[in-house]
Amino acid sequence: MSQYQNPPSGTPAEAFNPFDAEIARDPQKHFKAVRDETPVVSTPPPFRNYVVSRYEDVRWVLKHPELFSSSAEAVPIGQDRPLIPLQIDPPEHAKYRRLLDPLFAPKAVAVIEDDARKLVNEIIDRFDGSATIDFHDQFSVPVPCTLFLRLMGLPQEHLDQFLTWKDQILRADVDPEDYDDASELIKAADAMRRDAGKQIYAYFSEAMEERRTKRTDDLLSYLVHTELEGRTLTDEEVLDVCFLFIIAGLDTVTASLDCMIARLARHPDERQALVDDPALIPGAVEELLRYETPVTGIIRLTTEPVELHGVTMEPRSMVTCLLHAADTDEREFPDPDEVDFEREPNRHIAFGAGPHRCLGSHLARLELRVALEEFHARVPEYTVPPEANLAFTPGIRAASPLPLLIGNAAKES
Amino acid sequence: MRVSVDPDECVGHGRCYVVAPDVFQPDVLGHCVVIRPEVPEEFETAARQAAAACPEEAISISS
Repeated sequence: MSQYQNPPSGTPAEAFNPFDAEIARDPQKHFKAVRDETPVVSTPPPFRNYVVSRYEDVRWVLKHPELFSSSAEAVPIGQDRPLIPLQIDPPEHAKYRRLLDPLFAPKAVAVIEDDARKLVNEIIDRFDGSATIDFHDQFSVPVPCTLFLRLMGLPQEHLDQFLTWKDQILRADVDPEDYDDASELIKAADAMRRDAGKQIYAYFSEAMEERRTKRTDDLLSYLVHTELEGRTLTDEEVLDVCFLFIIAGLDTVTASLDCMIARLARHPDERQALVDDPALIPGAVEELLRYETPVTGIIRLTTEPVELHGVTMEPRSMVTCLLHAADTDEREFPDPDEVDFEREPNRHIAFGAGPHRCLGSHLARLELRVALEEFHARVPEYTVPPEANLAFTPGIRAASPLPLLIGNAAKES
Repeated sequence: MRVSVDPDECVGHGRCYVVAPDVFQPDVLGHCVVIRPEVPEEFETAARQAAAACPEEAISISS
């Protein structure tokens, strides 16, 4: 995200930037000092924002939407209007969640489990005996994206187009070398997002029209035909939900799979535990969500002056809630750097907290569990090649590429 | 032992009904429903763990 450019080297701790590429590589080790020494980090202009990192503080911010708004201004990503329901504040927010939550509740998503299991196996079949794979390209991307497009009722052949739009929005790829100063860079990234946003609106406008005349059994048809308070959704409402689904559905599970497999590949005892006892996998999903927290942080906008740990955040400040730092806070989690698949209690907030807690979390959990179960059944031996220097994208932590040696090649390495 | 959930606090993390499915189950939104408000002794430990697992602190226990 362009609003978080790296501070010049040697800047004081106050300028701690959680979205720095070096931090993203190995984030956990950087968080303790921030939590202990500067629980509210303030970054100087032009990137005026605050970072909150302790578990209780993050939870407090997320549970007070009247002070910390999730409005569209908090995260401008090329949208014309607020994304529904993420960028709608309570109380309006609740009516959309009542409409959408049932689509993603545990019982609703359970119906795709068999299909997901079959798909994961087909995708593993495509490894086709190779000794090395790019786990990101060959597994993390196709598994959740294929399932997402099936749920939405969108053609698989449009996947590359969706991925391009999603990346232009979440990882606006503008080269800092091409621009004289930070504000020009931000403008260029913003233009890229707006352009992708326009194309997303246009695509879904057309897809919506098709569903109006011919109802099909998919999410998009559901959105077009469902009723909210005695009326159908407006075109704009459907578009605003779809925009969010694209951003959320095509990125987060991919990043989670990257984080989890990278961790397990580099910790053979943990990997072997899952191979030996697949019953550990649901707990492993929760614990790896906690320890890796693939969505590093989420942003809110103060609605009035708010004081926290002696720092007064002026109205309309951006407040980054560092979920990853919260989930590794020893104030909440004893021995936070120990990965324990049977950790209880495990009140991690990898899916956020408060009213905006992730709408797709139960779907994500199902996909992650099935993916880990089938992958470990089929590919019990895997490791990261010694020469690989894994890099994770800041913000939403994907590793592309994620090279793995598998099978005998892993045993011999 | 009695358990209850504050519906204004529950946002559907879903930890409780995974940790103690004999006491808690999801509703149509994925939020928590208490199916055994008077917790049988055999499920008391699980119910306590479930309450401790809730990031919203939405579950109350009374004896």
